[in-house]
Order: sequence, then structure tokens, then C-alpha cells
Amino acid sequence: MHLPPWFWYAAVVLITWGVVGILQKLSTNYISAESSLIWLVVGFFLLEPVLYPGKALFGYSARSLTWAVLSGVFNALGAWALFAAMKSGGKASIVAPFTALYPLVVVLIAPILLHESITLLQGAGVACALVAVVLLST
Amino acid sequence: MPSATTFKAKWFWYSMLCVLSWGAWALLSKLGSNEIPADTMQFLFTFGALPVAVLLFAARRFKLEKSPKGIFYAVANGVLSGIGGLAFFAAFRSGGNTAVIASATSLYPMITVALAVTILRERLTWVQVVGLGFAAAAIVIFSFSV
Repeated sequence: MHLPPWFWYAAVVLITWGVVGILQKLSTNYISAESSLIWLVVGFFLLEPVLYPGKALFGYSARSLTWAVLSGVFNALGAWALFAAMKSGGKASIVAPFTALYPLVVVLIAPILLHESITLLQGAGVACALVAVVLLST
Repeated sequence: MPSATTFKAKWFWYSMLCVLSWGAWALLSKLGSNEIPADTMQFLFTFGALPVAVLLFAARRFKLEKSPKGIFYAVANGVLSGIGGLAFFAAFRSGGNTAVIASATSLYPMITVALAVTILRERLTWVQVVGLGFAAAAIVIFSFSV
């Protein structure tokens, strides 16, 4: 069976972020969730020398550069909001599955923003994935 | 059904902010990846995450717990998250449907659950077993619908 490149990249995401979930549990055994996020960003910075693009950075459009930086802002903002939800009385058994529903935002907005549509079969896959993450984070 | 009190609860709105933020993160990742390669996306993404980390640090009055183990796990977490981020951006850049990629990559808790059972010796609940079944179904469907 021939699988497209994105499928293999997604597999790498699943494995690395899956292990991250375990490390998260281990780190928050010793330090608070907020401290854990701060040190996590330190970990991000350890990769920066390897990722540094040099002069090529200035060749991209200002718009794309803005999207890239904003993706980091929103990712960290989401993580902060998750902690804040837990701290302000939200039960982990409700907050975790609820927040796992973020791909639904993409499913709803992608057709408008990116003019992409999904086939019926892909829709079934998306539905299964959403049910799966909700059940797995319960 | 959520009751009226749910909508008044702070945690509900923080959770909503989380869902919307992560939705925006995935969409912006796709928009940026149309032009920018994965390594540069991750390089820039890190600078985006920095202000939130600094604000959190300030909220803690610039004090952090001094647990070497906790710090080690959290920093390792960042390195591994960053490597995963590279693959995340690469997936968007290589084409494919954005909603499908966002959904497929959101399945990472299935690996966490599997590792929690094998490494941390946690027990699977029946809800998680059903969840793993749905995750497997999603992956099989995605592999056939490309």
C-alpha cells in the first residue's frame, strides 16, 4: 500500500508527542505544571541552533513569518489555558477530553479559510479520531 | 448536558480558550507551512511560545522549583516536543488535507496510554480500550482515504 508522506510525518508526531505525554506526567510529579511549561520552552530553545535558517529567514513573506510565530503564541496560550482551567476548578476528567477536541475547530474552519473539503470516508476517520481522543483522555 | 452553571464557570471558558487556541495553532501551522519549510517553522514557533513562558515566569515572581529530576523531564519534553513539531509542520507542508492531518496527529494520547501501561504500569480502563479501538479505526480509514 502506498501511503503519502504526511502519513509518515504524522506517525513521527504520534510517537514523539505520545512519549511527551509520559514525560509530562513524570515532570509534574516533581514540579508544577507552569514550571514544566517554562522548562519545556527552554527545551525548545536547545533545538534553535540546529534549526537556525540563516539569511534564508529574510526571504519569506512577512505574512508567512507572522503565521509561524503566531502558531507558537497560540500553542503556548492553549497550554496555559489548559492549566488555568484545571486550577480554576475544572475536573481533569472533563477538561482533558474537552480540550482534545481542538481538531474540530480545524474541521469547521478549514473549508472557509483554506477552501478544503473532506470526503465522506475522511469525515468518518475524523469522527473516529475525535471519539478516540475524547475516550483516551478521560 | 452542560448546565447553566457550567457556562458561568471559569474553567469552562479557559477550556474553550484552549480549544480555540489549539485550533488556531493547527490552522496557522498550515498557513505558514505553505511557504516556510518545517525546520524554519519550528525555529519561529519557539519565539512565539517565548512570551507566554516569560509571562508565566513573571506570574511565579521569577521563582521555579529546584527539582533536577522535574527540570530534566520538562526540558527533555521540550526537545522531544520540538522534534515532533518539526514532523507536524512537515506533514502540513507535504500536502494532504488539513483537517485530516490535524485529526490524525491529535491521536498521540494513544501512544501515551500504551506507554503508561507498559512503562508506568498503569491499568487500562475499559473506556481507554474503546478509545484505542476508535484510534485504530481512524488510522485504518485515513490510510485508505488518501
